Amino acid sequence: MLTTRREFLGTAAGAAISLKAMAAGRAPVRVAIVTTIYKYLSHGQHIGDRFLIGYPIDGEWHQPNVKVVSLYVDQKPEGDLSEARAKEFGFSVYPTIAEALCCGGKTLACDAVLIVGEHGEYASNDKGQKLYPRYEFFQQCVAVFKASKRVVPVYNDKHLSYSFEKASKMVRTAHAMGFPMLGGSSIPVTWRLPEVAIPLGASIEDAVMVGEGGSDAMDFHAMEGLQCMVERRRGGETGVKAVQMLVGDEVWKALDSGKISKALLSSALSRSDTPLGFSDLDGRTQDMVGDGVLPGLVKNPAAYMIEYRDGFRATMLMLDGAVKDFNFASTVRGVGNVSTQFLLTPIPNVTYSARLVQKIEEMFMTGKAPYPIERTLLTSGMLESCLDSKKQGSVRVETPALAVKYQVV
Amino acid sequence: MPNKKLAAVITVYRKYSHGQHIADRFLEGYGWNGAYHHPPFDLVGMYVDQVGADDLSKERAQRHTWLTLYPTIEGALTLGTGKLAVDGVIFVGEHGTYQKTEKGQVQYPRYQFFKQIVDVYQKSGRSVPLFNDKHLSWKWEWAKEMYDTAKAMNFGFMAGSSLPVTWRIPKFEMPLGSKIREAVCVCYGGVDSYDFHGLESIQCMVERRKGGETGVKWLQAYRGDAFWKAMADGVWSRDLMTAALCRSHTLTPAREGFNDMMPTMEEMKTLAKDPVAYTYEHNDGLRCTMMLMNGLVKDFNFAARLDNPSKIVSTQLYLPMPDGRTTLATFFSPLAWNMEKLFETGKSPYPIERTLLTTGLTAIGVDSLYAGGAKLETPHLEFGYQAQKESVFERT
Repeated sequence: MLTTRREFLGTAAGAAISLKAMAAGRAPVRVAIVTTIYKYLSHGQHIGDRFLIGYPIDGEWHQPNVKVVSLYVDQKPEGDLSEARAKEFGFSVYPTIAEALCCGGKTLACDAVLIVGEHGEYASNDKGQKLYPRYEFFQQCVAVFKASKRVVPVYNDKHLSYSFEKASKMVRTAHAMGFPMLGGSSIPVTWRLPEVAIPLGASIEDAVMVGEGGSDAMDFHAMEGLQCMVERRRGGETGVKAVQMLVGDEVWKALDSGKISKALLSSALSRSDTPLGFSDLDGRTQDMVGDGVLPGLVKNPAAYMIEYRDGFRATMLMLDGAVKDFNFASTVRGVGNVSTQFLLTPIPNVTYSARLVQKIEEMFMTGKAPYPIERTLLTSGMLESCLDSKKQGSVRVETPALAVKYQVV
Repeated sequence: MPNKKLAAVITVYRKYSHGQHIADRFLEGYGWNGAYHHPPFDLVGMYVDQVGADDLSKERAQRHTWLTLYPTIEGALTLGTGKLAVDGVIFVGEHGTYQKTEKGQVQYPRYQFFKQIVDVYQKSGRSVPLFNDKHLSWKWEWAKEMYDTAKAMNFGFMAGSSLPVTWRIPKFEMPLGSKIREAVCVCYGGVDSYDFHGLESIQCMVERRKGGETGVKWLQAYRGDAFWKAMADGVWSRDLMTAALCRSHTLTPAREGFNDMMPTMEEMKTLAKDPVAYTYEHNDGLRCTMMLMNGLVKDFNFAARLDNPSKIVSTQLYLPMPDGRTTLATFFSPLAWNMEKLFETGKSPYPIERTLLTTGLTAIGVDSLYAGGAKLETPHLEFGYQAQKESVFERT
């Protein structure tokens, strides 16, 4: 019997009711937003706005019991909305993170911090990673916590940092100082078609995740999609022993040799609503694996191959040119095929981000992260190590640092 | 055992026509339940009414060598033998260029083609299951005759839209025997086209209510200013409309710089320029409203108020259109899957009466609009039926 998504997350409707119930009679949670940019359709805007104007959840327009009290934006490109929002919703934009967290005073003057270090102009390193200053933003928040002798929950959008070392420090700091921290992508919490999760404690034989959209933006989403599924396996998450990132023809060779399961790739692609090639040409349905069309469609395939410390192996494939959505397939002992599409709903509404904001709000209200930050930490590290592998000519890279253990409930 | 044979009768076979979506799934297979699925049927005969420069049927017949195109419906069903030679018929009378009535209905030749199909059945002394895409006919009398003929000849007859069988976000089935007080669907599209999909979205839910379907007494359509006045007057419940809109993934932002917000009624007026509503009452008092709100949403969202205990339920019936959002209209896959059940068992997995009723509602909606929004009595729609017990929408 498959665990349904609702059972997995706790009933979504129940969660909304309890958020409402928790809010009753309580002063609004004062939130400081720290973001790289606040511009239409930047993560800062679509996540931040939901705390200002509410969001749709479970068939209701939910207004969080939150008061955004301050904003820091690192860059103000053309189209910046920070001042307009501040004026309309009655808060101030501060020139430094410390001032934002203290609302211009000397000590911490908010109850929660929302860090969105995505989008904006930043340099990239030689691995192709954009050097978003998430770690630096986090450190500045922590400095205020220390000076004020008070800590509050912190949400960090997407991966913690391009550097696993920095990401680890962030998580160690949060644990040592005793504040809850949530991070990551919307993928783990968006709708799934169908609404399935891998039964907790199941033995997973193999898993394949397919994503698209290129490295160091969308590969993180796909990687977290994979991780939120496989972390439920027997024994819990034990961390990653080694990774290898294949590119180009090596990917097709790995599929032909059975190193990556063609059956699971086909299963994942059978969940897609956006196959390209013939479907785009004349609308036809197609078995992309069986028909052998992938090498013709995907000019720059990449396979992120993950060996976990407990012996389990999984693969994330970035197949730009084959599909435009995110799909997962696995074989689970005693259950069989568990596969699904992680639904990324259309622009501009990106309603999936409302599902993420619901989780952030839950942490702000309860002081507890609804899922472990270690998922995001491990995913951040897997991604960086895969890019290391690629840089070194697709060699297998041992990853002793990625012994990140955690258990979802 | 060899595969059962099927024939297809299609108005037009071009990219993204319903004929292409449906027939392709029987020719090429489709993703289903986590694998690529090849239906155990051979589509061997096909008639296409309009073959233009964008026709794909020839390409399909070239690649699928067991498929033969015939210049007549009789040829497709008899495979040129003069006698019915297939085990089921796929009939897709949607898309293509046909004349419109003075009320704006496209005169798809569904009734005429149906007559030709049953003519072959009669001459052959044998009937096989028939799938009819969308509503039965734009004309009620013809639809009723199609229904009566299928009953009299006793063949499995399945029809309707993919809305009742597609994914629901979230997965929600109306519990059998629910006490439903009011239901709405907020959707988009044109009159005599997507209104039918909206009506089927409502009907596949409310037919499961306590006592079963009892038929419809009257319908009144509202358009433009009359729509906004009806909304202000509370002809339908605002909280149900809001619940439905909160299931949408495509709510147009009312203000520049915002990406996802709930518009006020005044803002809605600036977004939905020509809204249409059909409000109708069932014999047991249930009130339903289907709203076409082009400019406001591009999806199908359902909400209902239940009694005992009193609560609002809502979901989106997921139609991922290949209008830039997707490349495959994957909602045709659960329709194809249910068609397979029809061809396998000889019985429609859900009642044809649903589509008979929604066919009648679509026609009366058009009539009411044509009559300037008159409230029209519908004695011909006062028929009941029972919904199937099983859930038949895509869940796995």
